[in-house]
Amino acid sequence: MLKYIGRRVAYTLAILVLISLVVYLIFDVLPMDPARLTCGKTCRPDVVEANRHRLGLDVSVWQQWWRFIVGLFKGRDYAEGVAAFHCPAPSFGYSFNRHECVSKLIGQAFPVTFSLALGAFVMWLALGVSLGVWAARNKGKFVDRASTTFVLVGTSLPTFISGILILLFIVVKFNLVSPIDLGKWHNPFTDPFGWIKTFFFPCLTLALAYAASYTRFTRSNVIETTAEDFIRTAKAKGLSARTIMRKHTLRAALAPIVTIAGLDFAGLLGGAIITEGIFNLPGLGRLSIRAVLQDYDLPVIVATTLLAAAFVVFMNLIVDILYAFIDPRVRVA
Amino acid sequence: MSLKKSTVRRFLASGAALALAVSGVIVSATAPANAAPTTGGTLYYFTHQEQFDHVDPQRVYVGRDIAFFNSYLYRNLVMYKPVTGPAGSSLVGDLATNTGVPSNKAKTWKFTLRPGVTWEDGSAITCADVKYGISRTFAQDVITDGPTYAITMLDIPAGKYKGPYSKEGQDLYDKAVTCSKDNRTVTFNLSRSVADFNYAMTYPAFSPVKATKDTGDKYDLRPFASGPYKLDTYNINDEMHLVRNPNWKKASDPNRNPYPDDIRVRFGVAEDLRDSIFTDDSIKNAVNLDGLKPVANKAFFANPANADRRLNVYDPYVRYGAMNVSAGKMDCLEVRQAVFFAINTQALIDLSGGREFYGDPGDNPVKPVLGLDYAPTTGNIHDPAWKITGNPDKAKELLATAKTKCPTTYDKATNPAKGITYDLSNTATNQKASVLIKDALTLAGINVKFNFIPSGQYYSTIGDTTKQSDISAAGWGADWANASTVIPELFTKEGGANYTQNWNDPAYAAFKAKSDKALAETDRKKQAAMWKELSQYVMDQYWIIRPIFSKGQFVWNSGVGGVGYWEPQGNFLFTAIYVK
Repeated sequence: MLKYIGRRVAYTLAILVLISLVVYLIFDVLPMDPARLTCGKTCRPDVVEANRHRLGLDVSVWQQWWRFIVGLFKGRDYAEGVAAFHCPAPSFGYSFNRHECVSKLIGQAFPVTFSLALGAFVMWLALGVSLGVWAARNKGKFVDRASTTFVLVGTSLPTFISGILILLFIVVKFNLVSPIDLGKWHNPFTDPFGWIKTFFFPCLTLALAYAASYTRFTRSNVIETTAEDFIRTAKAKGLSARTIMRKHTLRAALAPIVTIAGLDFAGLLGGAIITEGIFNLPGLGRLSIRAVLQDYDLPVIVATTLLAAAFVVFMNLIVDILYAFIDPRVRVA
Repeated sequence: MSLKKSTVRRFLASGAALALAVSGVIVSATAPANAAPTTGGTLYYFTHQEQFDHVDPQRVYVGRDIAFFNSYLYRNLVMYKPVTGPAGSSLVGDLATNTGVPSNKAKTWKFTLRPGVTWEDGSAITCADVKYGISRTFAQDVITDGPTYAITMLDIPAGKYKGPYSKEGQDLYDKAVTCSKDNRTVTFNLSRSVADFNYAMTYPAFSPVKATKDTGDKYDLRPFASGPYKLDTYNINDEMHLVRNPNWKKASDPNRNPYPDDIRVRFGVAEDLRDSIFTDDSIKNAVNLDGLKPVANKAFFANPANADRRLNVYDPYVRYGAMNVSAGKMDCLEVRQAVFFAINTQALIDLSGGREFYGDPGDNPVKPVLGLDYAPTTGNIHDPAWKITGNPDKAKELLATAKTKCPTTYDKATNPAKGITYDLSNTATNQKASVLIKDALTLAGINVKFNFIPSGQYYSTIGDTTKQSDISAAGWGADWANASTVIPELFTKEGGANYTQNWNDPAYAAFKAKSDKALAETDRKKQAAMWKELSQYVMDQYWIIRPIFSKGQFVWNSGVGGVGYWEPQGNFLFTAIYVK
């Protein structure tokens, strides 16, 4: 088993290294010039070149990438004289648009995104799974039809609509959160009420969209599982409906849902751009989208891409390891 | 400075420091209430932007931000008089005792610091601080984006001084900028006569920086204050909090009125939420740093209940289509004219909010608010054949002339397999505008294609002579009340925003000679006459078409008083704003 885990970890690290290289190569071939973008309106050729040097773009893409790899272990130095400074390891570089080491920017944005993702995850699982089970147990009845309506609305209503509606017609209209405080970070350990105030409605926005899908998955999985032979056997043994549901139906029906939920959670950790934007949350999504669309900020792009990839890859790894525990045939393979 | 619409962040607002020398700038506004200003309270500013482009004084080049920081955070040698109306275009001493003393045919300028001016730590602001601050502009590899007047005006050979970090060429700078023995008088030695050098001094790029507090690139996050407020916190994507500077003294700064106890700028506010805050007047002590979205803007201005908390003014900008007149592009005058006459200007103005909110057709690269340097031109929109809705018949006439005079360009413009290419930044409004332009040009028999460029890289793309297409949408505002910050910038090869590539045009050499002569002219009236002549020249050559003299709207909430328009800065008169 350890050998299997070691192999998977090595494979994961190799993927991350490859992703970092691919991001550098993509950035290199794109027709954009961050050096020109940062040198103001009187952009003379010598100024462009000075800026290119400052941004570290005056060497080949391979050298840029190698500097990045070395910086992860040794940190990096920038500028000279009183303007000199150091980004300590693990250094993802320096953002000249945000005037901060990228590691620090990530450190500031990650708790916001993690709070959003975790809150939404708990909400959508609680709402989606319970509604799905309830609908499956009442197939064809009012509850089932109501859940179908919820699924239709939830999946067809994009977050940029539901988010704005929640913000303007619930949060602002009933003065539940002042626009002055919207998106303000509160430490959940020292100010849990403030944290809930900031994240409840953004989490709800995300959760509504996901919960609709999970209601549908759960309902269909429970209905399918209920028709399986082993459920019939359980009934024949005289077990109560509650016991059958709890011990047999749900365990079988929810296994694939837990896997999907893990990957969805990992995806959200990379940033929920729209929800963060609507609710003024300074998370990874906004950090990355600005770096890509506006600043062409390569160090931030690489760091956020790697982070998002790492979440997905490591969650896959965990799922694989769990599967290996569950199914010995995977270990052999 | 070139135009920055909401999506093109870099250049637009940098045109702010425009000295509007004529009255009547305000289109519709309410006079500030006569109630006496009150001191205290928290003043909120809201913006959709995630941060100020820059806070470092040597790097700020957005008009709104110049006005904001000049009012609250730092002081310059001179400033525009902090009053509304045309009087606001005059200069007053700020850190300096007066507006500067020129000599040697305005090649030497002296400014003497007021007694008692201090930094936020209570230490005295000295000539050495002024000299050091200005030197930072030369460190172009660290201090990016700011205006470069110090580099172009001071008597230092180009590229020989690299700024205070590397100190290469420091001796040259030390000769160009000197301090008196008492460290209170700074002398600037310029490479040429600059009669309006003191206007450049209104830019924070010429404000002092204390060398021991300089942190290079990171100074952009925490500049050391000399104004009535200092930075408490600045978190990008979140908030900037300004608190009173305990070492600021009214006795040494008669120009500023720090009414609120503290000032909070909320960044990254969703546009719909921001608009609702002002349409609902939900946070009384709030001011909008942006404009409203078009639909909300129209509704806001249509509601008479909002009459005392809004302004609709001519902003400092001229928006236009720049003709790339290099060989193989729009190098035929008649084809350029044909495009001009064919376009439906009315439809394009209506698309962006109509004449009430977007602006009026213009006849000049220089806006009337420059007063002395503006005179109506002849031809173009004053041509009897010009129609605001387009005149395809006149365009066809011109194309017929072009067919024999410049057949290659004619073929390019009319051949369905070829066509001219129009650069536009990729916004929803421009996507719609392209349809209107295409419809109008098609009526005249002109084939047009569009090159939509991502907004963030628009100006850097069209500024690349190898990447610019045949016509490029652009915009510009004067840096101060002199067309010296418009004509040479837009139409000479050395200019920072020449999107016409006109230096190989047969008409260029004579134009350039006159422009250089005007720059060196120290008699302001003679100089103004030369700028007017050059503006006419530009319009006669159709190097630009369809200039629009644009407008801007400003709104605030009912708990805020003293709001007015600071004409030379093209934005709020921030220092007069108070919480009721």
